[in-house]
Amino acid sequence: MASRRRMLLKVIILGDSGVGKTSLMNQYVNRKFSNQYKATIGADFLTKEVQYEDRLFTLQIWDTAGQERFQSLGVAFYRGADCCVLVYDVNVMKSFENLNHWREEFLIQASPSDPENFPFVVLGNKVDVDGGNSRVVSEKKAKAWCASKGNIPYFETSAKEGFNVEAAFECITKNALKNEPEEELYMPETIDVGGGGRQQRSTGCEC
Amino acid sequence: MMLDGTEDEEKFLAAGIAGLQQNSFYMHRALDSNNLRDALKYSAQMLSELRTSKLSPHKYYELYMRAFDQLRKLEMFFEEETRRGCSIIDLYELVQHAGNILPRLYLLCTVGSVYIKSKEAPAKDVLKDLVEMCRGIQNPVRGLFLRSYLSQVSKDKLPDIGSEYEGDADTVSDAVEFVLQNFTEMNKLWVRMQHQGPSREKEKREKERSELRDLVGKNLHVLSQIEGVDLDMYKDVVLPRVLEQVVNCKDELAQFYLMDCIIQVFPDEYHLQTLDVLLGAYPQLQPSVDIKTVLSQLMERLSNYAASSAEVLPEFLQVEAFSKLSNAIGKPDMATAGVVTLYSSLLTFTLHVHPDRLDYADQVLGACVKNLSGKGKIEDKKATKQIVALLSAPLEKYNDIMTALKLSNYPHVMEFLDIPTNKVMATVIIQSIMKNATRISTSDKVEALFELIKGLIKDSDATPNDELDEDDFKEEQNSVARLIQMLYNEDPEEMFKIIETVRKHILTGGPKRLPFTVPPLMFSSLKLVRQLQGQGQEENPFGDDSATSPKKIFQLLNQTIETLSGVLAPELALQLCLQCAEAANDCELEPVAYEFFTQAYILYEEEISDSRAQVTAIHLIIGTLQRMHVFGVENRDTLTHKATGYSAKLLKKPDQCRAVYACSHLFWVDDHDNMKDGERVLLCLKRALRIANAAQQMANAARGSTGSVMLFIEILNKYLYFFEKGNPQVTVAAIQGLIELIMNEMQSDTATPDPSADAFLATTMRYIQFQKQKGGTVGEKYEPIKV
Repeated sequence: MASRRRMLLKVIILGDSGVGKTSLMNQYVNRKFSNQYKATIGADFLTKEVQYEDRLFTLQIWDTAGQERFQSLGVAFYRGADCCVLVYDVNVMKSFENLNHWREEFLIQASPSDPENFPFVVLGNKVDVDGGNSRVVSEKKAKAWCASKGNIPYFETSAKEGFNVEAAFECITKNALKNEPEEELYMPETIDVGGGGRQQRSTGCEC
Repeated sequence: MMLDGTEDEEKFLAAGIAGLQQNSFYMHRALDSNNLRDALKYSAQMLSELRTSKLSPHKYYELYMRAFDQLRKLEMFFEEETRRGCSIIDLYELVQHAGNILPRLYLLCTVGSVYIKSKEAPAKDVLKDLVEMCRGIQNPVRGLFLRSYLSQVSKDKLPDIGSEYEGDADTVSDAVEFVLQNFTEMNKLWVRMQHQGPSREKEKREKERSELRDLVGKNLHVLSQIEGVDLDMYKDVVLPRVLEQVVNCKDELAQFYLMDCIIQVFPDEYHLQTLDVLLGAYPQLQPSVDIKTVLSQLMERLSNYAASSAEVLPEFLQVEAFSKLSNAIGKPDMATAGVVTLYSSLLTFTLHVHPDRLDYADQVLGACVKNLSGKGKIEDKKATKQIVALLSAPLEKYNDIMTALKLSNYPHVMEFLDIPTNKVMATVIIQSIMKNATRISTSDKVEALFELIKGLIKDSDATPNDELDEDDFKEEQNSVARLIQMLYNEDPEEMFKIIETVRKHILTGGPKRLPFTVPPLMFSSLKLVRQLQGQGQEENPFGDDSATSPKKIFQLLNQTIETLSGVLAPELALQLCLQCAEAANDCELEPVAYEFFTQAYILYEEEISDSRAQVTAIHLIIGTLQRMHVFGVENRDTLTHKATGYSAKLLKKPDQCRAVYACSHLFWVDDHDNMKDGERVLLCLKRALRIANAAQQMANAARGSTGSVMLFIEILNKYLYFFEKGNPQVTVAAIQGLIELIMNEMQSDTATPDPSADAFLATTMRYIQFQKQKGGTVGEKYEPIKV
């Protein structure tokens, strides 16, 4: 039977503070958008059932804090990710320049077995702002960067208007599926029928 | 010790992971064969690994995440089970048979999530049950992680507005109640943690607590994401309850962090509408809490909001945000850097929200001055940096120093800066003026401006000439010079006042600055002179002495230049004298021009002793004098006589020769027929020839070979010039003689080859040839010269 592992796809969204990570996720999962800025604390996921090529999957989408001071416990949740989404704001140059940092940070911390081919997707968000008049990162520039990093798929999105969000996540799903799961092949050395009986009991409280 | 600690920790983590993997392996087998009993057994054993007390929060989080991933699969299995007909209520009972409480509660939360989804019981009941049950874990780390698990799995199942779990009545408050309760419990666990364990590990514990903070803060994020939490609910329930918890926990770390969280996770509109409540909480926090950081984060957020759109400004006005914030700041007595940071934030805020209320901005600065008063010059690097930020804010906002000059407290704040920083700020101000091409057009404004940037204008009394980098100093003074050039008013009266004001200030600058600052002032003044002259120079009909006249300006300049010679810059002073003389010449002011020339001559005689400087000066004098037309015969004779005298007395023969033949031009001015004295021209040229001869002989004597013929060729060119100009004294014969002389010199056996002389002569000859071929009068004139 199909392993449960393959039915669950884990996606991590990274990017600077305020680029719209939470909004993109909310737009995709709940079809809701709020103009208010609310910082994210720690990491947090929403799930969505998706159908892809006649099969049902559960997307587990992890939204993260863009502000470092709200990421006090570290990034253990990167582990086992199937796809990493890098988001920047097309109206803020710095957020684009930081994509490299986010990508490298992810590769170091998540240490996927084949970093060269680990699936990323880049989203240039907030294309709706000011009718596009305030944008400072051109589509060409963004695509050039994506091409230089091993042809990362690129989407221009507006979480506010829902523009391209569906298409982007479809691509994210597709790429997450392509990622070979890193099953930590585990074989018990002995078949421990009783299960319990481990010598190491924690001292102190018995809870 | 520490190293062993971390090594041990790695070992414990590895052991934990191994145990977790082993049990999840069996759990998976059970899941694959739909064996519920075994699935529960192995999942409980797997979760037992989370009972460890040996891991730091970071490592524990790693273990927790692995368990978390496994629990997602278990959750999917539970869902399948219910679809296969297993009662969710039975499942909810069944998992409670797990032997240990921690695994039991994790399983309970996991099933609870499925339970809510099944809608067989109201979400609020299940949630209430779960949040109560979690009280069973009182160990802080384990409790915090368990509760954050609960928060995580329940997040998308809260009975929020529009959610499918929304019940009949008042359900949003159930959701809020649930999260608040979980938050309160977590905060208690978190705060209590500091009192557990030996006191010598306090530092380590504080670090661990800090790592755990996001688990607590996350609840606030969850609250902010609940759609049903509208402004009313936030104001009436959420904020008061959260603040109550924050204030009552009396814990520095928690208070600082949670205040920051409140500010960051809830929307700006909410903050504006609850400013009283929020600001009211600050005084109740522990004295050690770093209020200024939190407050400035609030103000930064609000200023960004204000800057985002003009439409939100009425909100700010309506709640009187400015006065509330400025009152809140007034109180705390804290470190200087903190005070300034706060005022800087408040000022940024004010500038965004009330761009038209300069009085507010001034109030902020005034309050800052009051708070800093008595502290003297501030030398704390962080604080001075903040003051620069504070003072730069109005410049950036208005792009106009004039606006800043209207802020009466602006200079007072600047007073607090130490000398280097004061200079930095002054430079920032000048740069702003340059960048925006700000017009500063009244003497009052100039006065205020120079008062502001006085750090660059004069040495302060406190530090007698500190070690300053030469290049930095030059750059600094150059920027002052550029600034002086930019001060302008088209009204001559006002412009003259500006010049007087600038002069007053720069004269205090001392010997090092004057050479930089006097020239621009001079040229500004001469510009005014030209302007007056352009206006037809209506000589004031009433003889009104107070009116600005070129005479008056020249008088001022004369005095200014005198200060330069006093500071050992005689060459510069001489140049400026000549500039003024020429300007006076253009104004037909003979006595003034004569005065400047006399001054230049005195400088030459008394102050300029270096021979190279003399050469440069004499050529400047000759050049200027040649252009002067204002002098009567007598004056001109005197000045010319002196100039030729100086020329002949230069130290080196070649220099003498060149200066003397240059003097020939003093007797031949093209456009003035009364200034054409062919005889004296010839006298100069002959004298130059004699000197060249002497130079030649000296060179021969010294080196035993013929010296350069360069000087002769140069003189030949002068002959040709005057010949062409029609000076009757310059004859073909004389030219012919000179050419032969040169040829002989060059062909003599002892001549040293000199390619540049050869080339010069060849060009000169070609020129004569060319003029011959031109035909017409010129050709005729040249005809008799044989080449």
